[in-house]
Amino acid sequence: MSHVLILLYAVTLIYFALAERVAKFIVLLSIQGVLLFFIALDNLISIHVLGLILILLETLIVKAMVIPWFLRRIRKSNNLKRVHESAIPVFYSLIIVALILVGSFFVSNALNSQSIRVRFFTVALTSVLSGIYFIIIHKNIFSHLVGYLIIENGVFLLSLAVGSEMPFMVSLAVLFDIVIGILVIGVFINHVGNTFQSTHINRLAQLKD
Amino acid sequence: MMLLLYFILVLILSVLLLLVRGKALNTVIKILFLAGQTALSAYAFLHPGEQDSLYFKFDTIGTLLSLVLTVLSFATFYHSELYIARHPSTLRKDGFYYASLFLLIAAMTGAYFADHLAVMWISIEATTVFVAILIYHEKNKTALEASWKYLFVSSIGVALAFMGILFLSAIASEKGVSNLGFGPLLSIAPLMDPLWLKIIFLLVLTGFSAKMGVAPLHTVTVDAHTAAPSPVSAFISTALMNVGFLGIFRVYTILVHSECRPWANALLMLTGLISITLSAIQLLRIRHFKRMFAFSSLEHMGIVILALSLGRVGAYAAILHLVFHSFVKAGLFYQIGQAHSIFHSYWIKDAGNYMKINPAGSLVMILGFISITAMPPSGLFISEFLVFKALFSAHHVVAAVYVLLLLCIILYVFATHLFKLLYSDETRNTGPGQIKLNGFETVSQFILFALVIYLGFFPPEFFTGLIRSAITLIP
Repeated sequence: MSHVLILLYAVTLIYFALAERVAKFIVLLSIQGVLLFFIALDNLISIHVLGLILILLETLIVKAMVIPWFLRRIRKSNNLKRVHESAIPVFYSLIIVALILVGSFFVSNALNSQSIRVRFFTVALTSVLSGIYFIIIHKNIFSHLVGYLIIENGVFLLSLAVGSEMPFMVSLAVLFDIVIGILVIGVFINHVGNTFQSTHINRLAQLKD
Repeated sequence: MMLLLYFILVLILSVLLLLVRGKALNTVIKILFLAGQTALSAYAFLHPGEQDSLYFKFDTIGTLLSLVLTVLSFATFYHSELYIARHPSTLRKDGFYYASLFLLIAAMTGAYFADHLAVMWISIEATTVFVAILIYHEKNKTALEASWKYLFVSSIGVALAFMGILFLSAIASEKGVSNLGFGPLLSIAPLMDPLWLKIIFLLVLTGFSAKMGVAPLHTVTVDAHTAAPSPVSAFISTALMNVGFLGIFRVYTILVHSECRPWANALLMLTGLISITLSAIQLLRIRHFKRMFAFSSLEHMGIVILALSLGRVGAYAAILHLVFHSFVKAGLFYQIGQAHSIFHSYWIKDAGNYMKINPAGSLVMILGFISITAMPPSGLFISEFLVFKALFSAHHVVAAVYVLLLLCIILYVFATHLFKLLYSDETRNTGPGQIKLNGFETVSQFILFALVIYLGFFPPEFFTGLIRSAITLIP
């Protein structure tokens, strides 16, 4: 079951390279949230009520619902529809993400460690790297936030790949920290949109010597 | 329970500041906060090594940096008052500024005393949000750009550091340690897989470099200084950089107990050399006072990280340098804030004749110049002397000579621009008229510089004891 879900997650990453509509980015992030919930559920080391609540909160509530809802609001208030500003054509991006996936597979195998699960680790690493790639090729700060969220989802998957278990309070605080960070980033995007009349990165180039 | 009580107190005071709309009451709240901060640092000093609130511990390096933070908090609050009085403001805006400042100080305190890697990460991540809000205080385009860049790049950096922590938790659990406390991690350090340890350190160093202000993610800190109010810049350049240092130091102490030590030292040395080089190159074309101080922080943090790679003597010098740099750089930022109220600009071309306009402030600038360029009697002279002694003792002669050359360039740049500010007749008044400054406003800066001289040449036993105890983790 996990393997099918993890493959589906990898497919969403490839789809990110294809998509150009901002609304599609948000739907893909929602799907990733749902997939992460089922992956985490399938991989629970032991069933604790608190652990279940945390996973439910982190994936289904926050990643699949709250953040996409918030992103939709930012998209509407800044009137973002399509991203035309990607520096690299979609076809090349598709190849690059596929190469990242293959490269991550080789890295995961090369690490040859008992403490990681290769399939999980491969897709998690792909998620982090393609999130960084997504940020590099897009020139809109909204897309940058989407890239950051892809990285965050990759980090979540990584925690499953390495079987990391932290105390409930610590995990909750980590989640709270990240959510607040994302909300503040979102608020700043709105401010940038209002102040500069655009969320294009070229407008943010005043700070230099 | 002390830290838990402290966090609750800070939360209550921050909410009160946002709700209360009276100047007198606001002042009482600020005094209460400073009293709480001082009490916590004093408690930590008097209870060394004591565990607190489940995930925290009053260890020596945390206590030392917390004492530095407390001293800087007093000065920063005083200069924030002056800053707010001289800029258009409302009670609501002030309340928001101070509430963010309270929470930033609390988050930094949490990072200093955290005895659990994930808790330290949470505290460091929390600082990002509060710093971004403080940078945006002026609500202009530059502030918005700097806040956005700081928030975004720091978040990515801190996410990378979190990956490192996740890997550490995985390899620790493989060795039977499920707790990410520093004590248990240190005990299994020699048993951990060196390849994983190297990956972890690379991620943590890259991630926390955004906080410490060293290469490769130093650029966000530089931009942050340009736009932030001067008292906030003073904090970003000192106490917050100390937070980044501590994050790297904690993971480094685990690595030095493994076979990766030479590799980690080489990486730190490379980071230090790159940081100092970048600082010297950028300073040669500098045109903005705050950016000049920001790149100077890059240089000093480069020296600190370089010193850390040089064994015990180097680690002692690194911590000493960190403390002295905190006091000197804060003093310089406070003073440039005062100069700004005269020239209404931080651009070097707009300022001059400062000696005539503000003699007390000029004296601060001269003392600051002597201190920051590590000339005697500055305490930074002692710490840099120890760094070079460690470099030569370790036979890194080429690196030592190279750093000395770069320091000469930096000294030249500082001298050129600061003496232009003091004696040049070319002044462009870009603002609505000059403000008469009271000479007594500089007292806090003189105290900070005097403290650096005193601690450098006549260090009290408790001060050296704290540093010596902090470096016992380095064999």
